Amino acid sequence: MTTRTILLVEDNPDDEMLTLRALKKNSIANEITVAHDGAEALELIFSRASSGEPLPGLVLLDLKLPKIDGLEVMRRIRADERTRIIPVVILTGSKLDEDILAGYRGGANAYVRKPVNFAEFAEAVKTLGLFWLILNEPVPKFVPQPD
Amino acid sequence: MVCVDAGGRIVMVNAQMVQLFGYPREDLEGQPVEMLVPGAVRAVHPQHRTGYMADPVPRPMGAGMQLAGCRRDGSTFPAEISLSAIDTDEGILVTAAVRDVTEQQRRQDDLERAVRNLETFTYSVAHDLRAPLRALGGYSSALMEDCADYLGEVGRGYAERILAASGQMSALIDGLLVLSRMARAEMRLEGVDLGAEVARIAAELQDGAPGRRVHFAIERPVQARADRLLIRTVLQNLVENAWKFTSGQDDALIEFGSAPAGDAAICCYVRDDGAGFDPHYAGKLFQPFQRLHPASDFPGTGIGLAIIKQVVERHGGRAWAEGAVGEGATFYFTLNMEEIA
Repeated sequence: MTTRTILLVEDNPDDEMLTLRALKKNSIANEITVAHDGAEALELIFSRASSGEPLPGLVLLDLKLPKIDGLEVMRRIRADERTRIIPVVILTGSKLDEDILAGYRGGANAYVRKPVNFAEFAEAVKTLGLFWLILNEPVPKFVPQPD
Repeated sequence: MVCVDAGGRIVMVNAQMVQLFGYPREDLEGQPVEMLVPGAVRAVHPQHRTGYMADPVPRPMGAGMQLAGCRRDGSTFPAEISLSAIDTDEGILVTAAVRDVTEQQRRQDDLERAVRNLETFTYSVAHDLRAPLRALGGYSSALMEDCADYLGEVGRGYAERILAASGQMSALIDGLLVLSRMARAEMRLEGVDLGAEVARIAAELQDGAPGRRVHFAIERPVQARADRLLIRTVLQNLVENAWKFTSGQDDALIEFGSAPAGDAAICCYVRDDGAGFDPHYAGKLFQPFQRLHPASDFPGTGIGLAIIKQVVERHGGRAWAEGAVGEGATFYFTLNMEEIA
């Protein structure tokens, strides 16, 4: 299985740095690409889709983004045949239910509250069945369980 | 007031209707009442009229619907209409009292706009104030974890203080959001046993701190008509307060019970034998961010009692406190929602 990248869409440099640190701290070895606004994220995803390059295995998506906001980014990912199955985890800055509900209506697979708490992230990954994606070294924290 | 016969003809109108609809009286009387109904619903109106004749009990017309009247010049206005019937020698006459609610409508729109603005504000408070806080908390954790060796004891202590302060501010923001949600949340009234709620909260606190010796004396049942979620927040805040302000004692007593209610439907109190407060400042207690104890003695945000006041007032009641330094405190609140049999 090829290694998939994780796409982090985050405009706040502090949140970006702290998220990258949390993933690294927990031995996530996937390559992580960062897009800093919604337009950049869409361009990255769709240029890969057009050229046949591997799509991100997971998108970590902030809701409040410059240019094109997170919900719209997700809507467009879901609207295209080539990209609709990419797992999207929403990063939310508040507990406001509206955010979360709107996220799910738009087809988010899960959400994680910021700052990215690794336990929550691991839970989301488990829920989504993305063990195959996460290269957790040296010993995986969440081993796929036999059915 | 428009009086209509069984066939839907206007029998009589009062001066107010003449003014409201802009017709001379003689142009109205004897005509079908549908002339006062806006074009869009004029065709179905006779059907509704027949329906009312079949069960002519006094009631508002078109429950939950936006009604309108049609003036002589064809313009319409939002209306509230109540119907009733009188039995006369010439058969049943239906009376419709029509009220122009343009002004109420405008005020309602203004209010809804204000609420929407408040929601936008709350939303940006939640998002924008939190972002720098996450950075403060995140980096101070990172400092402690990644740079512990360079920092040394003193440096780690400073980083810990930054972390604690950002946690405190985060709690303040949460408190403010709860306060604004309590003010806006729709109320669903039901019968609630306040004693049972207090017992549940007490059990949770005791499970969480098995080392503390606190005796609870809880009156049960104490039935009240209230919104369960909102009133739970009140009791939670009061009992947690009592729990917090008795933390300096080896043995503590926390009581919950009902008191003579006076004019209100019910009066309750939560009493503790803890640190108490200077009664001189009792009035300030219920204002947001007011604290009478240094945070080093008793941590908190100072929003809990403001939340209590908000919720209690929405239930038609009030809240007040009695106490003295070192002699414990008693917090009273009344609720005054109508009993529905």
